[in-house]
This record gives sequence, C-alpha cells and structure tokens, in this order.
Amino acid sequence: MILHPTVLALVITSFLTSLMILYSGYYGIRILVNWDMGSGSELQLQLERRTYLISTMVGYLLALQLVSLFLFIFTADSISSLLVGAMCAVGTLSANGFGYPALLLKVAVFLLAGLWLILNRADNQGYDYPLIRKKYLLLLFMTPVILAETVCQALFFLGLRPDIITSCCGSLFSPEARGIATEMAGLPPLPTLAAFYASAAVTLASGVYFYLKGRGCGLFASLNLVHLVVTVVAIISVVSLYIYRMPSHHCPFCILQREYLYVGYPLYAAVLTGGVTGAGTGMLLPFRTVSSLREVLPGMTRRLSATSLACTAFSTLLVSWEVLATGFTLR
Amino acid sequence: MIRVRQITKTFNSGRPNEFTAVSGVSLTVNLREVTVLKGPSGSGKTTLLGMVGCMSRPTSGRIFLGEREITSLSERFLTDIRRRTFGFIFQRFNLINGLTALENVMAPAYPSGERFSSLRARALAVMEMFDLARKAGARVEWLSGGEAQRVAIARALINNPSVVIADEPTAHLDTRLSHEFMAIMRRLKEEGKTIILASHDPIVHDTDLADRVIEMRDGRVIADGAGR
Amino acid sequence: MSGAIERQLHIIDFTVSSLLRRKGKNGALLTVYTLIVFILASVMFFTHAVKREAALVLRESPEIIVQRTLTGRYQPIPISYVESIGEIRGVISARPRLWGYYYDANFLANYTLVVPADQQPEAGTIDIGSGISRVREAFRGDTIGFTGHDGKPFAFVVNRVLEEESRLLTADLILMREADYRAFSGIPPGYATDLVLKVRNPREYTTIAEKIVKLHPDTRPIVRDEILRTYDALFGWRSGLVIVIFGAAVLAFVIFAWDKATGLSSEEKKEIGILKAVGWETSDVLLMKFWEGLAVSLTAFLAGVILGYCHVFFTSAALFAPVIKGWSTLYPDFRLVPFIDLADLVTLFFFTVVPYTVTTIVPSWRAATIDPDSVMR
Ligand SMILES: Nc1ncnc2c1ncn2[C@@H]1O[C@H](COP(=O)(O)OP(=O)(O)OP(=O)(O)O)[C@@H](O)[C@H]1O
Ligand SMILES: [Mg+2]
Repeated sequence: MILHPTVLALVITSFLTSLMILYSGYYGIRILVNWDMGSGSELQLQLERRTYLISTMVGYLLALQLVSLFLFIFTADSISSLLVGAMCAVGTLSANGFGYPALLLKVAVFLLAGLWLILNRADNQGYDYPLIRKKYLLLLFMTPVILAETVCQALFFLGLRPDIITSCCGSLFSPEARGIATEMAGLPPLPTLAAFYASAAVTLASGVYFYLKGRGCGLFASLNLVHLVVTVVAIISVVSLYIYRMPSHHCPFCILQREYLYVGYPLYAAVLTGGVTGAGTGMLLPFRTVSSLREVLPGMTRRLSATSLACTAFSTLLVSWEVLATGFTLR
Repeated sequence: MIRVRQITKTFNSGRPNEFTAVSGVSLTVNLREVTVLKGPSGSGKTTLLGMVGCMSRPTSGRIFLGEREITSLSERFLTDIRRRTFGFIFQRFNLINGLTALENVMAPAYPSGERFSSLRARALAVMEMFDLARKAGARVEWLSGGEAQRVAIARALINNPSVVIADEPTAHLDTRLSHEFMAIMRRLKEEGKTIILASHDPIVHDTDLADRVIEMRDGRVIADGAGR
Repeated sequence: MSGAIERQLHIIDFTVSSLLRRKGKNGALLTVYTLIVFILASVMFFTHAVKREAALVLRESPEIIVQRTLTGRYQPIPISYVESIGEIRGVISARPRLWGYYYDANFLANYTLVVPADQQPEAGTIDIGSGISRVREAFRGDTIGFTGHDGKPFAFVVNRVLEEESRLLTADLILMREADYRAFSGIPPGYATDLVLKVRNPREYTTIAEKIVKLHPDTRPIVRDEILRTYDALFGWRSGLVIVIFGAAVLAFVIFAWDKATGLSSEEKKEIGILKAVGWETSDVLLMKFWEGLAVSLTAFLAGVILGYCHVFFTSAALFAPVIKGWSTLYPDFRLVPFIDLADLVTLFFFTVVPYTVTTIVPSWRAATIDPDSVMR
C-alpha cells in the first residue's frame, strides 16, 4: 500500500461514509417496517425524527462523494510517479483490478445519492411523506453500492505497491495494458464527435420541449442517461485529442490537470449534475398523481429540467470551445 | 374553529412508567373568543395546549384546524402551520438571553425568509404597540419584568397569528402585572384574535374576558361552560 | 427563491450571533481545532517542501546508476564493469562512485560520505558540510574523530567547510580522499559503491538498462525517475504513516472527547427549544448547526493553515526541531522555498474538517429534534 496522506484521507472518508450509510440503512429498515403516518405513537414520532438525521447524512455523503471522486482521480494521477509504468491516473487505476471498479462505483454512488436527495426533496414537499417507502428502498439499494465502493477503493490502494528500488530490477517504463480505455479510445474520432453532438442536440431539444410543454419527461430523463455515457465516451475517444492536441492521447483524466486549465473539473461536474437532475426528472414522473404532490411536483420537475438543461448546454459549449479553439485538426 | 376529537396523549407507552396525560378529550374552540383552561397542577392543560398548538402530536385522536386535519401532517407542515397560525406566550416568558429585545421579537420569523428590512420594520411596529420602541436595542436580561412580558407578547404576535396561546402567563407575575397582561389580552381579543389561556390563577379564569372556561382534572374535561 | 436565500441569511446571522454569545466554549474549541490543523499543516508543508527541494536537487543527478546485488542485497560493484558497460551504444560515459552513509550516534545525525571525482582532499583531511561543522563545532584546522567499519577510531583534519550553495545537498556532506574512504569503510580496492552512466538519449534508457542486465546479470540499473520515485515513497511513508495517522488519531480523539465532555449546555438546549416552539423547524435548526460547524471549521482551518505556513516557511519549522532530530540538527537555518500544493490543502481538509463534521452530525441532530413543547414545562 502506498501511504500517501491523500490516500489515507480517501480511505478514512469512504470508511466514514460507509458507517453513515450502514447507520442510515438500519433505520431505513425500521422505517420501512414500522412506518405508520396515521399513528401518533412514540415509535412513529421517533422514526419521523430519524428521517431528518438520515437526510442530513445523505446530504453530507453526496458532498463528500463528489469531492472524493475528484480527489480519487487526482490522487491516482499524483501517485502514478510512484508506480513503474504508470504515467497518469490511467496507469495507476489499471495497476490492479480494483481501480476502475472503484471509480465507477464512486460515480454510481454520486448519481444514486443525487437521485435520493431529489426524491427526498419531493417527499418533503408533501404533507404526509408520500414517498417515504420508495425513498428508503432506494436507500437500502444504495447501501451495498457504497459498501462495495469502500471495499474496492481500499483493496485498490492496498494492492498498490510502491516500486521502490529494491523490488524493481531495472524494469523500466513499459507500456501497461490500459484496461477499458483501450476499447473506447479505439472508436473512430469524427463519427464519435458527431454522435456526441447528435446526442446533445436531442437531449437539449427534448428538455426544452418538456420545460415548455410539460410532456416527454420520461424521454428526456432516458436521453440524459444515454448522453452521460456518450459524453464520457466522446471525451475519451475524441475530445481528449483536441484538448491535448495529440493524435493518440486518449486520457480522460489529464484534462483535470493544470496544463489544461483544470477544464475537466467544470466539464465533469456539469456532466454529472446534468445527468443526475435529468434522470431525477424522470424518476419523479410516476409520482405526479400522488395527491399531496400534485401541486408541487410540476414546479419541481421544471426546475430540475432547467438545471439539467443548463448543465448540458454548458458542457456542450465547453466541449465545442475546446474543439474549435485549439485549432487542432484531425485528418 | 378548532375542533379536538377524542385526543389522547400517552407518554412512555409500553414502559412501566407509562402515563396518560390527556385521555379522550374532545372540545371545540370558537374563533375570536377567549377560552380558558383551568385545573389543578398535572391535570394535562399544558399537554393539551401543546397538541392544539401543533407543537406535539396526539397519540390518538384528531384535531381539525378549520377544515384541515392536522394530526397526520408531517412535522415540517405542522411547524409551518404553527408558525403561521399560533403565537405562544410562555410561563417565565422564555426569551433568549444575550439577544436584544428586537432580535427576540424577530426570531420566530427568520425561517419564513422575509426580507430583513421589512421584518425589522414590522417587529418595530409591533413593539411600538406595546410601548417598547425605546427598548428595542436592549438586551433582554436587563429588561424589567413588565417589559420582558411585553417583549414576549410582541414575539408571539410577530407572525400575525390568528390564535394566541398562553400557558400560565401570570404564574410569575405580581398582581399589577397580571392585570396589565389581561388588559393586553383584552386588546388582542378586540382586534379579533382567538385566545387560549391555561391557568389556575383566578385573575385569569375569573375575568369577564373569558368566553369559555374548560375545567380539567386527570387528563379529562370535567366541566365546559361559558365564562362569567 | 429569494425567500430561501433570505432564510439562509437570517439563519447565518443568528448562528454567528449565537456563536459570539458563547465565546468561552467556542473559543476553546476553536483553539484546539486550530492547533491540530496547525500541526498537520506544518507537517504537510514541511515534508512537501523538502520533497520538492530533494526533487530539484536530484534533477541534476546522473541518469542511470548501476548497483550490484547478491541475493537481493546491495554489494560493492567491481570497477572492471565500467569498461564493458561504457561500450554499450548510447552511453556517453561510465564512472565508478565511492560514497556511503555514516551514523553519528553521539549527535544523532546521519552524514553522507563522498569521494569526489576530482579535487580530492589531501590524505588525512576532509571537507565537511556546514551542518556537520555546526553540530560538531568543527572548523578549518580542527580534528574530528569517527569510528571506522572495523571499530577503529579515525581522525581527520578539517580542510574546509563547504559553502552553503545548495544546503540540502551539502549540509550533511563529508568529502574524503579515496584511500582514506576505503580504509574507513572497508570497501576493497577494485570495487566501488556504484557506477553512474550518462546517456545520450532518454528514450534509450530501457534498452541500455536491459543490455546492462544481460551483460552483468548481478547488476541492477536504476533510472533517475526511479530515484525520484523512491524519494517520493520514502517521504510519503514517513510523513504519511507516522505523523498523519498520529495526527488524525489525535484529532478524532480530542474532538470526540470534547464533544462528549461539553455536549449541549442546558441553556443552549433551552434556546433551541424556544426557537422550535416559536416556529423554527427541525431543518432550520439543522441548518443553523451546519453553519455553526462550517464557521468553526473554516475559521480553524484557515487560521491553522496560515499559522502552519508561517511556521514552516518563515521560522523554518522551528517547533519541529526536537522532533526531527537527525535532520534539524544538520539544517538549522534551512530556509524552505514557500510552496503550497492544492492537493495538500484538500487532503488536510479531509483530515480535519470531514471527521469533525461527521462527529457533529448526530449531536446536531439531537439538538435539532428537541421537543418544541419542552419549553412549556
Ligand atoms: N414528556 C413527559 N413525559 C412523561 N410525563 C409527562 C411528560 N410531559 C408531561 N408529563 C406528565 O403529564 C402530566 C400533565 O402535565 P401538564 O404539564 O400537561 O399539566 P398541567 O395541567 O399543565 O400542570 P401545571 O398546572 O402544573 O402546569 C403531568 O403529570 C406530567 O408529569
Ligand atoms: Mg402546565
């Protein structure tokens, strides 16, 4: 294991996150079993009070997850110099089998926590906790994902061995296998770019339609999820080429570095937020008919879709700016 | 109109020290009237006021505020109703020490997100009504008993509630201040507020101000009649 | 929308005034918190600055070092290897080096002994770095004693004290004549500590290293990047493991203990009860507690970081002198170049603010769920 302070910070944080989610999960089960809004029993009052604790915890969890997602990539990047053969986060992450799973789980936890908070917010707008069961089922679904993330990250860091002089007999830089990146990097650049713009256009159009007409919410939400994946693939396969101005550098992480003006942070933040809010719109769709939510939900989904649209537009503009402003051409 | 139907409040239920403070109480409070709850110590007046005032939920039974049933509302909504509908005056005033009189008066309105300037103007106006304008900047712990009492009343009125609830308002006041308090209640009644008082002080329940006197004992209503 | 912002502002306003009302308790918490941030920040800034300095120095070091290993352990290398290795295509020059470490048990300091390639000192004399000169109080013309590899005492006359151009490199340095060094360290004639190669093209590192291993299977070529890597790992280990774990444990303990010990005063409980009774909702109180935690954390964090920065870069980490002995005795006025890494700050944040925040979630929630009707009794 590499005992970098940042690594320790990440491990400790994910451990705390796991503790919080286990605690919340336990009360989630109790709420699912014992919840009875009509009752004024002390148990019910206590459970109702717990819901405040749990939403607070998930709120903190989301914030921590977002920061730790970026810090994780950052760390992978900065400790790459300690690993033979690794030149940036890609190399570090593929140093053992847990790197990419940990990263993907982190993204998943972020998305799930975001969706949960959206659901929670909707639930709080109703006077009788209309979504309480769905909310806590989602929480229970989140629990194993967060635990898996903690385990994966810990195993990943534990499995990294600093190749100090004693154990590396003149074995010098040798190109490592690059895991999933290879497959995406292999996609033809220009068609992928076209696909990205097509996907962005369709998503934005459906979002505007939903915002104006209040219809087509499910479509908009699904398109957002598709667009999330398409964007990441496009960044790896083609946008990175423009950003780095090199015909074969496909790293999705180097754009987080100073050399590229940290452009990756706003880009990924916008992509993730756009995805969460967009998908959240669709998640709320089935609850429009719930009596206590009928009045508030349309306003909330409109606001969510507006946020999502803004994020998607922003990330698309950012990508376009990178593609156009660099003056780099792919032939 | 506030209708209370068969409400019961049980503390520590299921445990050896289980205690039913209010059992099966039904009553109706008319708007723009002064209702007085009286009864010996421990008879459940405070507990009942707490439930009527949306501070706590009954173990069973229902409470209707106008047409709205409030017992099955989430805490968030209950608080919202409490803030809009009720103003509370407590025994011993319960002002927050260290804050000025003005800040104490404004505190209940903070969560409503009103603009600071308009909130402040409103608070000063209410304080003016009670002759407190000069004391707005004074820390509450230095106020005289009468001033503190009026600050507490001003605080109860800041959100412009339709119902004012006072629990043992005169318990720690001398006779002069108790009469002063009742005079203020009279003014509020004339302004159209509904007033619910709980007390075993004769100054409170023997006035001609009381439209209705409800007597409690051991968590039950034993008498419900018109005031003097 | 503006209502929501106004609500936040009101609550922040109230929070600040309530923090100021409890100066004693909050002041003490803030002091402890700041102190811990300060210690951790100092450690991080210090190690990072040293690491950076080391990396700068090493940038000028040779490109490939060849060592010999026997059953995995380091061994002196025969000087005869120089010829065959020097003939490999792409190698500009190959040269044997004689150097080593010496631990001075009396002064708890590590010295680096080096035989310079040219301008070796006269027999029986040495050049010493400024750090050693200061620690041993030895100046030009003085005699210093060391214990040799066979336990015999050796005495050397100080020929000159090295200038302090690059302090990190020279402070702990002793330059010695080759014959003296062999007698002192026991390295037999015909052997050297390692070989250094200069290489024409960095792209050829790999092939050259492979050729060396093929030529002499008992050797181990190390590229410059790997040296940097080792340094990185070494400093990472030291600072990371020992101090940060220790610091985090202290932090967790102190703050937890603190929270347990003080908890909510009855006055504070009453205050929250009053707020809830007059119309604050549980989430309003939670929000207040959030701002409270943020205010305390940010103040402590900023103050601690700024103090740590001043401590490390303006006073040369004066407070660490007793802790990092072998080091600080040698580098008394070692002025580090001010340097801050954003990742360091984020890490520090994770070590201090995150645990604090997490420990305060449950107490805040407890405070926020006080029964509103509790103030009526
Ligand atoms: N949280 C609680 N847990 C247990 N018992 C309680 C609780 N709150 C109130 N009680 C009990 O309920 C009973 C009624 O209390 P309540 O305060 O309503 O009486 P009261 O009529 O207001 O009395 P007083 O005139 O002295 O103010 C009391 O016996 C009290 O001990
Ligand atoms: Mg009472």
